[in-house]
Amino acid sequence: MTVGAARGADGVNTGQIISGAGHLAVIGWALFGGAFRSDPPPFEVVEAMAISSEDYAAILAASSAPEAVANVNTPEPPAPGENAPALASGADSAPAQSQPAANAAPPPDPVPTPPEPVPAPAEVTDTAPEVAPPAEDVAALVPQVSPRPQPRPAPRVAPEPVAPSEPDVRVDDVARPEVAPDAGAVVEEAPQEATAPEEAATEIVTEAERPRDPAPTASPRPRARPAPRPAPAPEAAPTEAAPTETAARPETPQETQAPPATDRGAVSDALAAALGQGTPTPERPAGPPLTAGEKDALRVAVQRCWNVGSLSSEALATTVVVTVRMFETSKPDTSSIRMLSHSGGSAEAARQAYEAARRAIIRCGNDGFDLPPEKFGQWRDIEMTFNPERMRIK
Amino acid sequence: MMRSLLTLIAALTLWGLPAMAQQGGPLRLEITEGVIEPMPVAVPDFVADTPAAQEFARNIARVIAADLTGTGLFREIPADAHISRITSFESPVQFADWRAINAQVMVTGAVNVDGAGRVVVRFRIYDVFAGQELGQGQQLVGQRDGWRRIAHKVADQVYARITGEGGYFDSRVVFVSESGPKNQRAKRLAIMDYDGANLQFLTDAASLVLAPRFSPTGDRVLYTSYETGFPRIYVLDVASVGRRALPTLEGTMAFAPRFAPDGRTVLYSLTQGGNTDLYSMDIGSGASTRLTTAPSIETAPSYSPDGRQIVFESDRSGTPQLYIMSASGGEARRISFGEGRYGTPVWSPRGDLVAFTKQSKGRFHIGVMRLDGSEERLLTASFLDEGPTWAPNGRVIMFTRETQGAQGEARLYSVDITGRNLRQVTTQGGASDPSWGPLQN
Repeated sequence: MTVGAARGADGVNTGQIISGAGHLAVIGWALFGGAFRSDPPPFEVVEAMAISSEDYAAILAASSAPEAVANVNTPEPPAPGENAPALASGADSAPAQSQPAANAAPPPDPVPTPPEPVPAPAEVTDTAPEVAPPAEDVAALVPQVSPRPQPRPAPRVAPEPVAPSEPDVRVDDVARPEVAPDAGAVVEEAPQEATAPEEAATEIVTEAERPRDPAPTASPRPRARPAPRPAPAPEAAPTEAAPTETAARPETPQETQAPPATDRGAVSDALAAALGQGTPTPERPAGPPLTAGEKDALRVAVQRCWNVGSLSSEALATTVVVTVRMFETSKPDTSSIRMLSHSGGSAEAARQAYEAARRAIIRCGNDGFDLPPEKFGQWRDIEMTFNPERMRIK
Repeated sequence: MMRSLLTLIAALTLWGLPAMAQQGGPLRLEITEGVIEPMPVAVPDFVADTPAAQEFARNIARVIAADLTGTGLFREIPADAHISRITSFESPVQFADWRAINAQVMVTGAVNVDGAGRVVVRFRIYDVFAGQELGQGQQLVGQRDGWRRIAHKVADQVYARITGEGGYFDSRVVFVSESGPKNQRAKRLAIMDYDGANLQFLTDAASLVLAPRFSPTGDRVLYTSYETGFPRIYVLDVASVGRRALPTLEGTMAFAPRFAPDGRTVLYSLTQGGNTDLYSMDIGSGASTRLTTAPSIETAPSYSPDGRQIVFESDRSGTPQLYIMSASGGEARRISFGEGRYGTPVWSPRGDLVAFTKQSKGRFHIGVMRLDGSEERLLTASFLDEGPTWAPNGRVIMFTRETQGAQGEARLYSVDITGRNLRQVTTQGGASDPSWGPLQN
């Protein structure tokens, strides 16, 4: 062994002792100190009470559940008697549906009587308030679109008006002589028109109790018919309903070319040009616009009745634009159905295509389309373009 | 800078205004998908104005209903489903009752037998859901034994009013009636109504007859007969059943004749010296003109409706294919390029399609294609389908279908050009080689 090695051996011994003691301390702390022990699961603490064996036996004796089960009268099966159906192989008639005798029926199971509930202190009376009989039914000719909340009936009042209470009387300290009316004095009164005496009604008839007037209270102004739509295709034959908007538009750029005097004028001129020479903006329909789903539902409903199977080849190549005005009941006004334009075929073919489209609208609208009533203003007038391109013979 | 900003605002405003304005108009929808189904039609029994007309009133209504439903485009609502009864032709129609049974079209009529014994039929057509009469009421008069034709004419009017196309019910078909076992089959020319009624034989079974073809007016029939042992073309007058042979050269075989639209010229094939070419013949003078000179087989010619072109079958490319050329001959252009063999082309009365027989992969088909060969559609498929002929309105094709085996038999079938409504035509016994005649006057 060399010196160095001996020193090293000596040094190692001291260091190993210190290191070993340190490791032992750490390992011991880890094992017994709870470093590797997980927290115990939460548990509930229940208070327990120690009882004696006599008390426990008494508790068991008080439990009568097994006895209740044993005392149940099980029904006996009905004995084969005269009423039993005979097993005859040749008989094809239905066996008599006789029931066992009544005495054979098992007694009903004893129903435990539930403890009577303790009546809680009632804050309201159990008796229903008397409801005044509804007013006489009146046939409503006009459907009520937007039912308003019904006002509550006012309480009934006395048949005669109650005299107002007298003001507080206080005896004046100063005595005053009684004033006698002057017999000779003439009191001039201003002429007054005869008025009806103030009468008190025997009862107040509220708005809720008043029978509803069947007549409409307002007559909305009929909306203008929609302007005819221009023919979709430039090669379309001229139709009865000539497009008017397109005829007026060529004049539009002519006036917009006028140089604006100011910036504000340029903007206003541009707006005027966009609005079509100051023509009034078409009446905006009431209600929110139809959603895509609502439009699709209407489209599918019409498609379901659009039968093109009997159309000629030429009619199947003809696109027709049909307008229809709807009733508020979501049914089409059949007399309002018109063909606005057609393209792709002769007038005869367009007539066949239009008649098929009309049948589709009427047939599937016979029971009313599924349209939101609150958006009536949006679907009051409908333009449908029946394009059979995808229905042609391929 | 300010000016540019205002101009930009104005431009943006203009861009958005059309959409705003559009919201103010009517609700706009585009309907692109429909249904294809038979239209429900109600044909209640016609009202008999006289006791003698009762049977006619009932039978005429039945024939009308059968005509309409036979097209596949209409579906009759049975009489026991009717809520209302038509007891008077003049009484207003209770549309609600007919709407309730979903009748979309209704035909009412009245029949009378006048003092001269003629049958007088009045009828009206109604669009039930629109509550309107379609067109105006009409009246037809005919002989008692022609009551079926009256019924067919009424059905033609209804069909035309609803579909926009001409009808084909008052038409006849000439064909080859077949009887006997397959190896010894007797063939006769016969003529019948399009629905198989009123069958009449035009020739006896003494000699083999083939390929009858109606004239454009329906008064004559061309056909090929082996009466002399060689095929020869005859022209037969339908009314008198008189016939005569067309002139031909000795040692030649003439067959596959077809009238030109003018009715004065006949196209046919002539085999001479082992080569078959197309010829045209003036019926009055008997003068023939050779139209093709190819060494291949040219046959089954058919005129276009205007008589200016001819579609025919030729194997000049190695397999039978379809070609179109001028009616006076000249260079032909091929129109069929599909797989298989094409034959017996027939030009549509509308002029837009050619019907043909196609053999491919051991099956026979009846098909149609455009004049340039595009949009080929095979309408049928069977062991043996052949010999198409067009209905007068160009909507329906009749053809021969023969079943397989020793007991196989040829029958007539019809199919819509859409490929729907395949139906067997009622005939007495076997039938083949139909030729659909024009609408009768």
